[in-house]
Amino acid sequence: MSGILDIIIKIITWPPLWQLIVLGLIVPLGVVIFILWFERKTAARVQRRIGPYHVSPKIAGGLQLVADLMRYMFQEVIIPKTVDKFPFIVAPLAALILSIVPVVAIPFTSIEAYFPIDMSYSLIISLALLTLSPLFIILSGWASNNKFSVIGGMREAYLITAYELVAVLAFLSAGAITGSFNLVDIVEAQSGVKWFIILNPLAFAAAFIGVLLSTSGFPFEIAESEHEVVAGAFTEYSGLVYGMNMGAAYLKRMIFSIMIAVVFLGGWKPYTPGEGFIAGYLVPSIVILVKATILMMIFSFFRAVYGRYRLDQALDIAWKILFPLAVLGFGLGLLEAYLGII
Amino acid sequence: MPAKPVSKQVPSRGGIFSKFKGNIEAIAIGVKFFFNPQRFTLIYPKEYIKLKEGYRGFIVLRKDKCINCGSCARICPAAAMRLIRLPFTDPKTGKTRMKLWPIINYNRCIFCGYCVDVCPTEALYHVPYHDVVYETMDVMDLDLEEFQKEPEWDTEKQGLPVKYVVDEKMGLVKVRIKEEGEKQ
Repeated sequence: MSGILDIIIKIITWPPLWQLIVLGLIVPLGVVIFILWFERKTAARVQRRIGPYHVSPKIAGGLQLVADLMRYMFQEVIIPKTVDKFPFIVAPLAALILSIVPVVAIPFTSIEAYFPIDMSYSLIISLALLTLSPLFIILSGWASNNKFSVIGGMREAYLITAYELVAVLAFLSAGAITGSFNLVDIVEAQSGVKWFIILNPLAFAAAFIGVLLSTSGFPFEIAESEHEVVAGAFTEYSGLVYGMNMGAAYLKRMIFSIMIAVVFLGGWKPYTPGEGFIAGYLVPSIVILVKATILMMIFSFFRAVYGRYRLDQALDIAWKILFPLAVLGFGLGLLEAYLGII
Repeated sequence: MPAKPVSKQVPSRGGIFSKFKGNIEAIAIGVKFFFNPQRFTLIYPKEYIKLKEGYRGFIVLRKDKCINCGSCARICPAAAMRLIRLPFTDPKTGKTRMKLWPIINYNRCIFCGYCVDVCPTEALYHVPYHDVVYETMDVMDLDLEEFQKEPEWDTEKQGLPVKYVVDEKMGLVKVRIKEEGEKQ
């Protein structure tokens, strides 16, 4: 009996499965539900409203999101006659999966036994996987065969060209400082107060706004802005598939937040991973997830303060401000490596 | 003739530093309100706005003053008021005659108050509340007996009175009205 239990525990805690299912899907989904509630409540507080309230007044409307989720689950999935059915169904699934997959290339501990894959080029691999999912948003817009969807997809395409370079350059500046693409080395280099947010604030700012741009966070919610292009690429979607589309953006933002927490906020520092599963794997991953959740909360706070930018304004910001900022951050990283600060 | 596309360049105000400053100020205001929210949403059944006399709320009929002229039904722009024919016994002479009485349908009423204004004998009057919240639509169509009673003011029983005042810094602010007997 205990043998079977051991095997089950061994399978569940097998790093690739654990990291993909628990750290990549279950925990981020919980965080995303919390963040959706937090986003609505924060926007309401700042804009002098109350927000979700009547579903459960005692816990400040916390069950409203569960109610919304139930509604999405039981809604009919309508597939219009004019759409291209195969890509119409596959694109949101692929976008969701590709938003989660990069988590296998992110180390949650410094102990080699708990790495799902070899971490030598993990920075490059995770960035490359993270920048794939918008292609499927464009595909879903195209497959919908609807004017608004095509316009939304085109807007997404414009934004990809703008933010991808910025985000990748900003994250690579960490590689410039440490001279390594290994995320474990990058975290280990951030000892004491030498977190890269302090050493390289320019790259952090570029990465932060780049992530907002890439996950259509509020000031840059251009591809699916309701007032202009009904729901952008997701106009024809309904029910759970639409929920999947929306959830993919938030999951991607969560994974990006984990990336920022690892690259700029010191990863599992100030904790040092010890021996065993709990001290060596569980606690450091909790540290990283808490940092990522705080980042997500800051991201959602921006929704309350900013209005939506126009497409040309967002591209202006990306090319005229963020791109030089990211290049400067990369240069700063090289300078710090040359001076030997690390 | 097709319109010529003209590209307009909006002149940018201020340099990059003033834009940066503006962003910081906006975030600072957001943080201030996040920690000290000044909400003014009316939580409806638990709070209600105390309105003054003369507010155009529910309409009530005084049957003894009504002279059955039908002006109210004629002037009603939403056709909410209509006339029904009911027997009426004159208390002086003791004769029974058919007469036209107004009844109201709150499905249609827009609370314009024309019927109250036009009534020559002031047989109709307003009460200063209109909680048009019903469970079914049939209940909103009143008959003559119901039209003579003042509707129940449910929110007064279960809610707290509030009013909105204009504050110099905050704009509109929700203030709770102290009830009688409560210390100021």
